[in-house]
Amino acid sequence: MGNSDNDLGQRVLDIYDYIQDNLYFNRPDLQINGREFNSTLLFGLLTALCQGKELIIGEPGLGKTTSAEYICSLLYGFPLGVIWASEVSGHPEQTEEKVIGRPDLGRLNQGEEVVVWSYFVLLPVKIVDEINRLPETKQSMILDGVDRGNWEYLNDAIINDEYCLFATANYQDRGTNTIIAPLVDRFDVMVESKHPGPNLAYLIGSDGASDGHLRDEALEARFHSVLSKRLPYGRLSEELESLCSQFSQAVEGRTGVRPLSKGERAELRVQMGKIPFDLDFNAFFRVVLSELSFCRKYGQKRSHEDCEQGCHFTNYLCHSIRNCVSNRLPLSVRKFSQALAWLLGAQEAGLEHLRLILPFILAHRIQWKEDAVVKKEKEARTDPLDVHMAKEAVREMHRRFMEQGDQIKNALAVACRIADGEPMEPIEGDHPLYWEIRRDLGEPDIRG
Amino acid sequence: MKNPFSDFRSVPYEKREIPLDKILKDKEKMMSRILDGYLKLVEEEAKDLVWLVEHSRVAKAYTAAVENLQGLPFDQDHIEEFCVELDNSQKIPYIISGPAGIYISAMINLSPESRIVLRVEDFDRTFHFLGYRLPAGKTLVIKGNAGEFIGASLSGGNLVVEGSVGSWCGAGMIKGEILVTKYAGQNTGEFMRGGQIHVEGRIQGVGRSLLGGRIYERGKLLVPPHGHHIRAI
Repeated sequence: MGNSDNDLGQRVLDIYDYIQDNLYFNRPDLQINGREFNSTLLFGLLTALCQGKELIIGEPGLGKTTSAEYICSLLYGFPLGVIWASEVSGHPEQTEEKVIGRPDLGRLNQGEEVVVWSYFVLLPVKIVDEINRLPETKQSMILDGVDRGNWEYLNDAIINDEYCLFATANYQDRGTNTIIAPLVDRFDVMVESKHPGPNLAYLIGSDGASDGHLRDEALEARFHSVLSKRLPYGRLSEELESLCSQFSQAVEGRTGVRPLSKGERAELRVQMGKIPFDLDFNAFFRVVLSELSFCRKYGQKRSHEDCEQGCHFTNYLCHSIRNCVSNRLPLSVRKFSQALAWLLGAQEAGLEHLRLILPFILAHRIQWKEDAVVKKEKEARTDPLDVHMAKEAVREMHRRFMEQGDQIKNALAVACRIADGEPMEPIEGDHPLYWEIRRDLGEPDIRG
Repeated sequence: MKNPFSDFRSVPYEKREIPLDKILKDKEKMMSRILDGYLKLVEEEAKDLVWLVEHSRVAKAYTAAVENLQGLPFDQDHIEEFCVELDNSQKIPYIISGPAGIYISAMINLSPESRIVLRVEDFDRTFHFLGYRLPAGKTLVIKGNAGEFIGASLSGGNLVVEGSVGSWCGAGMIKGEILVTKYAGQNTGEFMRGGQIHVEGRIQGVGRSLLGGRIYERGKLLVPPHGHHIRAI
């Protein structure tokens, strides 16, 4: 599926170009298939397309929230004013009533328990600004909603049929808290919104670099009116979509790019879901998963158990990390690989797609041991330490895969036949994946 | 359960084997069979808790060792490795010196090589009964000091000890030659019937009952003096 056959893909790329040229100035820091991308913009687009969850980190004022707002506006067709109204800001006094919903006091006086849902819950695009300013106890409040789009208040509930979530976080200062591990794990990707450099920064605020095209006060008032009507969720979605369509037409007239409709987004997700993964992708991802979960001594990684000195697998990633990756990792990898492959018009999601997305999917999920951090923190780099270490880890695992890829695929092929009942011996090798294959084939205890 | 490898069903597989892996695997398999044979022998011999050196017992242990080793295609490398295992391995739960030496001797006698070199100087353990029943056509070179009953019942082979030996060297030897470059202990050549023992250092004492053969000390014929055997010295 080339982009010539993929009109939707081309439209998304046009939106990318429009944001890059007019709204969010930054340097490209990724390259794939001969095309350069800025990671914040690319992953923002992919997050919005595949209904993902993105954590954007960075210094204050470097475009974390605004980049997410532009992407949401142009991919979902909401005016900026509506998106601003739906944003949740993280601060210690934040309450469930402001984030999720509150009782309708008028109706409550009449003895009825009716929930007034927040715009944050009702809109498919959700932005949490400065999420790490929410105290740890209050972060749990949004866990379920972040994970499943499932929002509950009193005896009522809303399940979003379509949603994506962006959260921004500043670097640690006196006002920030740690994002709790279960919430961090729910984010598919983490990117840094970087400083664009002096030359691009000079252009910010210049003529033409304005987000005024994404505002429409009259339409915004109509959005607010519909959102305040307290319609049933299904009907509300229909009415919002009708307004989005009107806004999209207006935006197309002003900018030349047309936001996607709900139907188009649904269609492109079907197209993405059909993209297969090639065998190199498959084998390399198994290598990655094995290195991030394997422990010869204790059966798997556990964050409270430490490796023993002199372990045979010291040179693999399992020795440098504390935690075990969760089952959300494969979900994020599949979703974002397919989305990237779709955007680039590829027939299959392959090794290059996987290599590009993996550091951003792993950066916030890996808990490094202190020794590993000490080794890397003073290295020259252009990324924040977490992303830099994830990129290095992926580079290292990819090097091992390049050396052993054929043997690994061969081992998996043999394992397939053994699992089918053929009398063969599993192929032995040094990488943790070989050990995991033997465990899956039922060898009683290969810990030796 | 679903086959988690089914995506690779279409991949043509190839059972690649690195030559070194195969060599190591074969060697490991062979060592395991050799060790099994030894443990079987020791189990049998350890029944009485104490292992006494009696002619019938030694002969029985040797026969059992030969039976256990018969048909195994081992060579000098396996013999050396077995000695290493005996010396410092956790794989062997208990070691009785006599049967261990008899088992090594049986391996030497059954191995295809005509010349075998054992570097016992590398081991902490003292091995006894090395060269037991060494047949004609075989040369065993022991580098370092050996234990007792070295070259016992020698049956025509050449045994060279580059070091000293304990007591009962060449006991009951029938034919062949033993050369010890340093010293020999007591009862050297006890019950020997034929062959020669050359000791380049001092001999602490020769056996009381010698039925034949010759013993030389520092190049001088010690037994029999003047070509006649004596009963006791």
